[in-house]
Amino acid sequence: MAASPQTSRPAPVTSPEADVTSAAGAHLVRKKRLFWPFLLPAIGLYVLFMVVPTVATVVLGFTSWQGAGDTPEFNGVGNFTELFASDAFLYSFLNTLLYIFVAGVGTFLLAFLFTMVLREMRGGKLVRAILFFPNIVAPVALGMFFSIIMIYRPNRQGLVNYLLESIGVDAVKFLAPENVTWVVIGCLIWASAGFYITILMAAVDRIPPYLYEDADIAGATPWQKFRNVTLPLTWDVIGVAGVLWTIGAIKIFELVFVLAGPGTYSPPIESWTLGLYVFDRSFGTAGSPEYGMACAAAVMMIALVSVLVVALRRLMRRETIQF
Amino acid sequence: MATVTFDGTTRYYAGNPTPAVDTLDLEVADGEFLVLVGPSGCGKSTTLRMLAGLEGIDGGAIRIGERDVTNLPPKERDIAMVFQNYALYPHMTVADNIGFHLKIAKMPKEERVKRVREAAALLDLEQYLERKPAKLSGGQRQRVAMGRAIVRRPQVFCMDEPLSNLDAKLRVQTRTQIASLQRRLGVTTIYVTHDQTEAMTMGDRVAVLRDGILQQCDTPIGLFSRPANVFVAGFIGSPGMNLIPAAVSGESATVGGMSIPLTPAQRAALTSDRVVVGIRPEGWSIGSSGVSAVVEVVEELGSDQYLYCSADIPHVEVAESAEEREAPHAFTVRAPGMSGWHRGDKLALTPQAGAVHFFDAATGDRLPD
Amino acid sequence: MSAPESAPETRVRREHRTPPRKPRPAPTARGFSPLRIVGMAFVWLFTALNVVILYWLVTAAFKTPIEIFNKPFHLPYTWFERGDPFRNLRYAWENAGFGNAFLVTVALVAVSSVVIVAVAAPAAYALTRLGVRGSNPMTNFFAIGMGIPFQTLVIPLFIGMADLGLTNNLFGMFLVYVALSLPFTVFLLTGFFKSLPDELEEAAAIDGASPFRTFFTVMLPLARGGLITALILNAIGLWNETLLAIVFLTDNANFTLARALFTLYGAASYQSEYGGLIAGVAIVVLPMLVMYILLARRIITGLTLGAGK
Ligand SMILES: Nc1ncnc2c1ncn2[C@@H]1O[C@H](COP(=O)(O)OP(=O)(O)O)[C@@H](O)[C@H]1O
Ligand SMILES: [Mg+2]
Repeated sequence: MAASPQTSRPAPVTSPEADVTSAAGAHLVRKKRLFWPFLLPAIGLYVLFMVVPTVATVVLGFTSWQGAGDTPEFNGVGNFTELFASDAFLYSFLNTLLYIFVAGVGTFLLAFLFTMVLREMRGGKLVRAILFFPNIVAPVALGMFFSIIMIYRPNRQGLVNYLLESIGVDAVKFLAPENVTWVVIGCLIWASAGFYITILMAAVDRIPPYLYEDADIAGATPWQKFRNVTLPLTWDVIGVAGVLWTIGAIKIFELVFVLAGPGTYSPPIESWTLGLYVFDRSFGTAGSPEYGMACAAAVMMIALVSVLVVALRRLMRRETIQF
Repeated sequence: MATVTFDGTTRYYAGNPTPAVDTLDLEVADGEFLVLVGPSGCGKSTTLRMLAGLEGIDGGAIRIGERDVTNLPPKERDIAMVFQNYALYPHMTVADNIGFHLKIAKMPKEERVKRVREAAALLDLEQYLERKPAKLSGGQRQRVAMGRAIVRRPQVFCMDEPLSNLDAKLRVQTRTQIASLQRRLGVTTIYVTHDQTEAMTMGDRVAVLRDGILQQCDTPIGLFSRPANVFVAGFIGSPGMNLIPAAVSGESATVGGMSIPLTPAQRAALTSDRVVVGIRPEGWSIGSSGVSAVVEVVEELGSDQYLYCSADIPHVEVAESAEEREAPHAFTVRAPGMSGWHRGDKLALTPQAGAVHFFDAATGDRLPD
Repeated sequence: MSAPESAPETRVRREHRTPPRKPRPAPTARGFSPLRIVGMAFVWLFTALNVVILYWLVTAAFKTPIEIFNKPFHLPYTWFERGDPFRNLRYAWENAGFGNAFLVTVALVAVSSVVIVAVAAPAAYALTRLGVRGSNPMTNFFAIGMGIPFQTLVIPLFIGMADLGLTNNLFGMFLVYVALSLPFTVFLLTGFFKSLPDELEEAAAIDGASPFRTFFTVMLPLARGGLITALILNAIGLWNETLLAIVFLTDNANFTLARALFTLYGAASYQSEYGGLIAGVAIVVLPMLVMYILLARRIITGLTLGAGK
C-alpha cells in the first residue's frame, strides 16, 4: 500500500495551514525587530544613570579623592583599611547590621504573629489596610513625626514621655545617641510591619482552607498550625520578603538622619548607618568631603547586600511545592 | 464505637434566611455506613461539617454515643474526616501526612510509626511512604487521605465526596474498597455523595436530602421500592422513575386512557383528586394494548435496552436529579438486552403488577400501599 | 408531548423561626488559646496605635506647641479661639516655601511618573512578549537595579550631572528620577505583561496588524491596570523621595516638598515652631492618605505583587 503512487505524492506546499504559519512566522520576525527599539530607551537610561555610576563608585572606592576639584588617585585597598580603622565606619557597619537583623527578625516575628491571628479574624482586611499605611508615607515625615513625639524635655515632653509620665514612669531620653538606634529599630518595625504582613497574608490566603480544617480536626493549636501549615507553605514568599527586607534595610538613611540629629547636619556617629556614612562623607556638611572614602563605604554596601541576598537565597532554597 | 444522633440540627449561613440544614433528625447506628445523598447544594457537606465541628450549629444538637458534642471542638469529638480534595499537606511525605494527626496528639514516635505502617499496609501504600503527594496518582492520594483517617482509630468517619476526583473506573473500584474496609473496621461512617449509584451501592442506609430537609432515610432496597415522595422516587434509580400526573375518578387513576386502581387506603389518604403515578422503567410490560408510545431513542447496554419514548400524556420532571436526564422524553422503558427495538417503533405499555407507586399530587407524599 | 409539571414540594419546611442575626461560629473559632488571645490583643492594640497616631498628626497640625506637648489628645483650640485655625498651615505654605514646593512636586512627580511608565512599558513588553532569546537574563539585569542602594551611585552621578550643568536643576532631577525608577517599574510591568493572554495578540497578527500597532491598540489597553498601578506607585515613591532631592537640589526655588520639609525641620526645631513643622508633615502626608483611602487595594497589591509571585 505504501508503494502506491497516489498516496506517496507529497502534499501541496501551499495548504491553508502552511499559509497561516508562514504568515505568523513572518509576523514573529517583524515582532522581534521591535525588541531593541522598545528596550533601548529604558536600558540606555538604566545603564547610563545606574550601572555606569555604580561601576564608577566601585572603581573610585580604590582611589584617594577629596571631591570636586581634586583628581582621584589609585591607592589600592587603602580606603578600606582606613574604613575599618575608623569608629564612624564601624558604628555605621554595626548599626546597619542591627537594622538588617534585629529589626528584620522583629518585623518578621510580628508579621508571623499577625498571620496566625489575622487569618481567622473578622475585619482582617481593614486591619491590614491600616497597618500598611506607614509604607506610603515619606520616611522623612515619619522620622520627624517620631522625633517630635519622642522629645525629652521636662515640662514639655513629647507624646511618648507624656504618656510615660502620666502612668508614673520616668521619662526617657529616647533620642540620645546611645538609645536612638533602638528607637529607630522600633520605628522601623512599626512602619514596615504592614508591608510584610500584607505580603505574607497574600501568601497565606492562597493556602487552601481545608488544610487548616484538617489541622483543626487534628486539634492543632495556632502555633502548630503556623509551624506545620503556614510556615512551610509560605516559605518561598518568606524568602523573597527576606530579600526585600535586606535591600530596604541596607539603605536606611532618612529615618536615622532626622531622628538622631538636628536635621541640618549629620547626627552623632554612634547612630550612623552605611547610607549615612556615604552621605556624610560626600554631601553632608560636617567636615571636608572625602569622596574616595564615601565610595569605598558604598562598595561595602554593595558587598554586604550581595553577600546577604545570596546567603539568604541559599538558606531558603528547597524543592518547590505546588498546591 | 458509637452511634451518631442529629437532633433537630439546624444551620444558617449569614445573609440567608432559609437554613442550609433544617431541623435534621437522624440516627446512625453503631458501625453503620450511612450515606447522605442529594443534589448539589442541598446541605450534605454542611451536615457533615457540623458533625466534624467545622461549622457552628444554630439549633438542635449532635450527639456521638451518649456525648453531646454540639459545642465541642473537632479534636474532642473523636472523628476523622476525608475531604473531597483529600487535604493532603503538599510539603509532607505520605508517612508524615498519615501520621500528622498522631503527631499533633503527641503520640510517642514508635507507636506512631507502627500505626502508620499498619495503615499503609492496609491501603497498599507501603512503597510510597517517602513520596510527596504531588508524585502520587489520584487513587493513591485518595488512599493516603483514607490512611490519615484510619490511623486515628476514631469513633466516626466523615467522608465528603471522597471519590469525586477520581475517574469513573477507579471510582467504581475504590467504592467497593472503601465499603469493605469500613465493614472490616466496623467504624460508624457518614459518607456524603451526590451520586445516587454510589449511595445505593455503598450504604447500609441512605439519607436523601433536599434543600436542607431530610426526605427519607432507609435501606437502599427500602428507598428503591418504597420512595417516600416524588422527589426521592425521581432521584433514586437510574434511569429515573417515570412520574405521571393523573386524575383520580372513582377508585382509579387514569393514565393515557388506561385506568389503574387505587386501594381504599390510598384513596382515603389522598388530599385532592390528583395523583402522581410512578412506574420505573423496568415496571412496564410491552404488549399489544395499553398506553401507546413511540420509541425516540434506543440505549443499548447489551444486558438491557432502555427505550426513551414519547407519549401523549403529561409527565413530571423532578428537578436536579442526580444524573441530568438528557432526553426530555416522557417515558423510559426497559426491555431485555438486544431485543431489537428501533427508533420510531410503536409500543403499547401496561404497568406490571405491583410496580405502580402512587403519590399525592398536592403534597408529593407517597400514598400508603 | 406535553410540558412537564414541576414536582410538588415534599417534606414541608418547618414553620419559620426567625433566623439568628449571626450564625454561630464553628467551635474551633471559639476555642481558648493563649496565643490567639495575646495575638488578638496585640493586633488590635497595634491597629489602634496607628489610628491614634494619625489622629495626633492631624490635630497637631492645628495646635500651638504648648498644646502639642501638654494636651496631646485634646482637640486643637488656641488658634481657633484666635480666629486663625489655619495658622500653622499658612506658616508652612508661605514662610517655609511649601506653596512653591507643592507646585514643583506636583509637576515633577506627574511628568516623571508618566515618562517612567512610557519608557518602561515598551521595555517590559519587549522583554516578555517578543520571544527574543536573552530576554530573561535581561529582565534579571534590570531587576538587580532594584537592589542597588542609591547611595552607591549618587557620587559619580552627581559629578557627571554637575559637569553637564544638570544639578540644582529640575530637568536634571526629572532625568534622575526617571532613570532610577526604571528597574522597579520594568520589573512590575513584566509581571503584568506576562499574565496577558496570547490569543488577542495572535488574532491581531492574523488580521494583519503590524506588531507596532498591535502593541498600541491591543497590548497597552489590556495592560492598562498594570500601567495605572505603575503610575500610582511611582507617584507615591517620588512624592516621598528625599535623598536624591537633598543631593541634587540646593536652591529653595527648586525644592520639592520632602526637600522643603527637611529644611524646615532644622529651622523649626530651633524656633520651637512645632505647629508649623507638623503642618508641613501633614502637607506631605495627607495627599498620600487621600490617595491611599481611594486606592488602597491597588496600591497594596501593586507594592506586594513582585513578592507574592
Ligand atoms: N460558607 C458558606 N457561606 C454561605 N453559604 C454557604 C456556605 N457554605 C455553603 N453554603 C450554602 O449552603 C447550602 C448547602 O451547601 P453544602 O452543604 O455545601 O451543599 P452540598 O454539599 O450538598 O453540595 C448551599 O446553598 C450553599 O450555597
Ligand atoms: Mg458538598
